[in-house]
Amino acid sequence: MTGPPGMDDAGSQRIRPFLGGTDPAAVRPWSPAGPLTGPTALRPYVMTGGRVQAADPSIGIETQVTPRRDRLVPPLPAEQAAIVALCTEPISVAEISARLGLHLGVTRILVGDLRAAGLVHVHTQDATLSHSPEIILRVMRGLRAIS
Amino acid sequence: MDYERSADHRAPKALKIIIGGGFGVGKTTAVGAISEISPLTTEAEMTALSIGVDDAGFEPGKVTTTVAMDFGRVTIDEGLKLYLFGTPGQHRFGFMWSDLTLGALGAVVVVDSRRLEDSHAAVDYFEHAGLPLVVAVNAFDGRLAHDLSEIRWALAVADDVPVVAFDARVRGSVRDTLLTLLDRALLVAYRAAS
Repeated sequence: MTGPPGMDDAGSQRIRPFLGGTDPAAVRPWSPAGPLTGPTALRPYVMTGGRVQAADPSIGIETQVTPRRDRLVPPLPAEQAAIVALCTEPISVAEISARLGLHLGVTRILVGDLRAAGLVHVHTQDATLSHSPEIILRVMRGLRAIS
Repeated sequence: MDYERSADHRAPKALKIIIGGGFGVGKTTAVGAISEISPLTTEAEMTALSIGVDDAGFEPGKVTTTVAMDFGRVTIDEGLKLYLFGTPGQHRFGFMWSDLTLGALGAVVVVDSRRLEDSHAAVDYFEHAGLPLVVAVNAFDGRLAHDLSEIRWALAVADDVPVVAFDARVRGSVRDTLLTLLDRALLVAYRAAS
């Protein structure tokens, strides 16, 4: 890939250069268990006790987390306490990650741990929800209301 | 735990749309134009395939890398939020985005008409992932370097994939682009159901 193409380069741009590189078999689910390279990749997992495989795949980046008001929160490690404190109203895993400056993968693991400890609700949903005409129409209605 | 699943009508639901495209084409601008919060950034670990032109014909090299992802939020109604995730646009890497695309309504690939080649990887990925797709050409200063039919031809997108012009800075324009994507998603959903 060199500089930007001009009009007269259009012919040479017809064939997508990546077509040969991404056969469907190469599009595999991302696994957090993949090889970690370098200290920047390793360091966040100190907070999770070194675990990299504990994230529940059903906990997505958009998954909503809400508090369990029926539980008294015990003393927790700083990051987990911060997550519980953020969940005063429904909040996504991605927002928790961004607001606390936590790696997304680490956030998913910690949120799963808090659910296992009975301290938060994690509202996982079926991946097929996005294929439902009713829910698509609902999103369209909401967007049309934006001016 | 069953009652936490979407079967419970009281459970808060969330859906997402992926905003893809090359570096600097206006993904974060588009997210910011429609988001009710200032775009936030999260860091995610991804497996990247180095699939640059130089490597054509060779087994692609795989590396795990940390990438920054900008995202925004739109509240649809009391029980449903829509998230817009801008996927990273590194030039020479094809990310394996399955973790992000699972459960997504679809993807908008933002294209700078002066740098069409930067968007090849994203168009290719989302087509292979089978996500409803719209190609949105960001009309910087209201101008396109090529007309839409030329862009469709150059990007070699399927005939049923909408190619539209939009202005990433304008909320109404971003909203209409998302609605075009949802029209497409609805068609796919009805087809799958019949």
